[in-house]
Amino acid sequence: MKNKPFNLFLIVLVSIVSIWSLWPSWRDYSLSKQLDSYASAEDSLKFTLSHRDEIENARKKSLKLGLDLKGGMHLVMEVDQVDLFEQKAWNKDAKFNEIMERVRRSSLTSNASVIDLTVSEFRKENIRLSRYFYDIRNSDREITDKLRKEAEDALARAREIIRNRIDQYGVAEPVITTQGNRRLIIELAGIADENRVRNLLKGTAKLEFKLLRESDVLLRVLDKLNSSLVAQRALSFGVPDTSGAVPQAVSQNRSGGPLYDVLTVMDNGSVYVHEDSRDFVTKLFRRSDIKALVPQDSELLLAARPDQLQDGQNYYPVFLLRKTAELTGGVITEAKATFSAEGAQPEVLMEMNSEGTAKWARITGANIGKRIAIVLDGAVYSAPVVQSKIPNGNSVINGIESVEEAKDLEIVLKAGALPAPVRIIEERTVGPSLGADYIRAGMISLISGFLAVSMFMLVYYRVAGVAANAAVVLNILIVLSVLAGFSASLSLPGIAGIVLTIGMAVDANVLIYERIREELSEGKSIVSAVTAGYDKAFSSILDSHVTTLASAYLLYTFGIGPVQGFAVTLMIGTAASLFTAIVVTKEIFAFMLSKNMLSAKSFG
Amino acid sequence: MRILHNTTIDFLKYRKVAYGISIALIVVGLVSLLFKGLNYGIDFRGGSEVVVRFEKDIDVSRVRSVLKEAGVSGTLKQYGMDRSFLLSTVFSGETNELKTLIDNAVRDRMPDNAHEIVRIESVGPTIASDLKWAAFKALLAALAAILLYVGIRFEFKFATAGVIAIFHDVLIVLGLFSILGGIFSFMPLEMDQSIIAAFLTVAGYSITDTVVVYDRIRERIRGRKPSEYEAIINQSLNQTLSRTIITSGTTLLTVLVLFIFAGPAIRGFAFAVFAGILIGTYSSVFVAAPLVYDWLRVTKSTVKLRGGSAS
Repeated sequence: MKNKPFNLFLIVLVSIVSIWSLWPSWRDYSLSKQLDSYASAEDSLKFTLSHRDEIENARKKSLKLGLDLKGGMHLVMEVDQVDLFEQKAWNKDAKFNEIMERVRRSSLTSNASVIDLTVSEFRKENIRLSRYFYDIRNSDREITDKLRKEAEDALARAREIIRNRIDQYGVAEPVITTQGNRRLIIELAGIADENRVRNLLKGTAKLEFKLLRESDVLLRVLDKLNSSLVAQRALSFGVPDTSGAVPQAVSQNRSGGPLYDVLTVMDNGSVYVHEDSRDFVTKLFRRSDIKALVPQDSELLLAARPDQLQDGQNYYPVFLLRKTAELTGGVITEAKATFSAEGAQPEVLMEMNSEGTAKWARITGANIGKRIAIVLDGAVYSAPVVQSKIPNGNSVINGIESVEEAKDLEIVLKAGALPAPVRIIEERTVGPSLGADYIRAGMISLISGFLAVSMFMLVYYRVAGVAANAAVVLNILIVLSVLAGFSASLSLPGIAGIVLTIGMAVDANVLIYERIREELSEGKSIVSAVTAGYDKAFSSILDSHVTTLASAYLLYTFGIGPVQGFAVTLMIGTAASLFTAIVVTKEIFAFMLSKNMLSAKSFG
Repeated sequence: MRILHNTTIDFLKYRKVAYGISIALIVVGLVSLLFKGLNYGIDFRGGSEVVVRFEKDIDVSRVRSVLKEAGVSGTLKQYGMDRSFLLSTVFSGETNELKTLIDNAVRDRMPDNAHEIVRIESVGPTIASDLKWAAFKALLAALAAILLYVGIRFEFKFATAGVIAIFHDVLIVLGLFSILGGIFSFMPLEMDQSIIAAFLTVAGYSITDTVVVYDRIRERIRGRKPSEYEAIINQSLNQTLSRTIITSGTTLLTVLVLFIFAGPAIRGFAFAVFAGILIGTYSSVFVAAPLVYDWLRVTKSTVKLRGGSAS
């Protein structure tokens, strides 16, 4: 048994590549250690400036930690395709709404694509898709193809827009990928204000300018709703009693009935709802039987922000608006968060393109003295009275609570509206402090796992155990360096995969050593026993590695997120152990044999 | 040092007893699965989970009542870390609202004990059903792949017996999860994605031990008469016994380390792998090889093994 030059070359090469690939991680670690060691901010700044290239370079190439270890958000968002298709339809009637409502309900639980669900629901009713979609001469197949295309475009656009929003907000190395034809996977690390990011991501940012209807129309509609609810209450007790919260200071000319129990009507005809009853009223306005009572061309909406009335409590104004928008956010070219001229009130200034400017001039010119509401994602931000024709395409959103919110509005308006609402359907967020705990737990597991196994190997196999342990060390190095080299990230399940790999990697050596012991006990010489051990154990080792690799690969293909991290390290570790356990230890023994350093006792 | 050296245990003699034990274990598990069912984690059930960690020690019932007062629905349990609690509730894509609700409730009612929401997980119903389906496919594909590979490397009877042994291992661990689920507060044993990962790891590992035994049988059985099979299989089992125990032992050691040190997120996984490897080791000795023997005996066929050791 002699050393094979090619194998020696391979071992040296693999070791060098591993160390070379992990070197930046080590530099990154030691540089940040050094940075931490400076007592004064001045010193650390000086150090950062003088080593800037080195620090950046090391950071870029170092082993990336997963979101669970450094803290971050993993989000899966879904484009609301039902909404998208509803937007694409025309001639919408009650039947259409009913069918789409069924599609919506089944899409919440079913894995089938929304297109298939839509097609099957229409087919059940024996209605051709062309009655509502595209051209009447189109066949169902042509329409589904078009809708499918629309869905793909919508996903691509949503991804673009969300990327813009994240870039504007400023997150280091965001990862945004699409999955299937309606999902986006978003991974963000190091987020200070999760709530703000969620709001930024999920808002459709659909900006609309809508005309307000006269207040007497609003009151007539509310009267109608109220009496209908009274009639319903007489039939059953379905409507919850939400009385109270009506301030005494405010004059009322309407009271009694489920609706007027929660609404406050002022003398000037404006209507308010107390903040405690907001959810109830919002849900009420969304009910289809309530919607049917509102004139076809109008809709009821609440303000985005409450006003404080005389009694010092918060009330949301209620508006009746024309359903068809006069102008939409598509014409906005520039948005800027600033403060209002009068003082500290944050607001967002908007500029329009030439088409929007012309339209805006015409609309404002034709509606002087009337109110136009600025509606964002179904909430009224402000509804100013048009004083004069606006010729320059400027408009402003006020009624904003904080500077941060103004800033976020600027971001979403600039990035443009999403083609359809996008909802969060999965979220995994780990805070940075838990991440630090995970790192500590992972490191302790890794070290104790290695110590436990290597101690056992030393005690049980003595000299041969040293070789096996060297192989395990190389194995861990290879796994980490492959992760670093391919910019894959290391997660807690990934560390678990490495720890498990330690246990499995020595198994190959156990098989070999047991075989060698058998050969020795049959009276073979040490050289022929070692040779026979490697040869005869090989087939079991290959089989076991192949089956483990296959399971890990399937886990990687079918699993998501955390489990994939485990599968990846297990795959790399298993593949590496074929090399380390067989080639590396064999060369170690060949070297020791050539130096007469091995005897029958060396295998325990 | 040597353990289990030169044993001469008549494994095949005890195979009927072993079959009985195995069947009993599986049946008990199945009964529990049928009546008690499994404790599904949010991966498969859908829902939201929030882990809140406090600065100072606090009683779970106190936190529970505070959250209840604030109108937070869901169940609160001790989480397997210091001063931490896990709230599980129905799925909501609006984690902002949930988070704000909890933050306000705890801050207002327990101002002297700072808290932090360290983890939020939320899985919608469509994702949950996707994950369930994917888990099922992964397990099925793994079994098929192993059947195919071992079938090619040995022969169909060996492969089938090996896959039955894997089934046996996974079923028993599944039964254990059903029986023990929810009993220990430090380890809720919920079925989630990580447990599927554990099952696949166990499947890969169980066949490893089995293949080692098969390999030895293949080495010795070639050209022998069926009447000698019993002795050969018994000898092969005895000769490979020590390596079967040691390989499982080293892996069990690392899994034990994971169970103790890697924290609550890994604990369920570590438990499943630990139990799976223990049972997998047992099954490769007492289930897989004896099944092959019985199959050969009943069909009165001779072994036509492919491949062979490289010697």
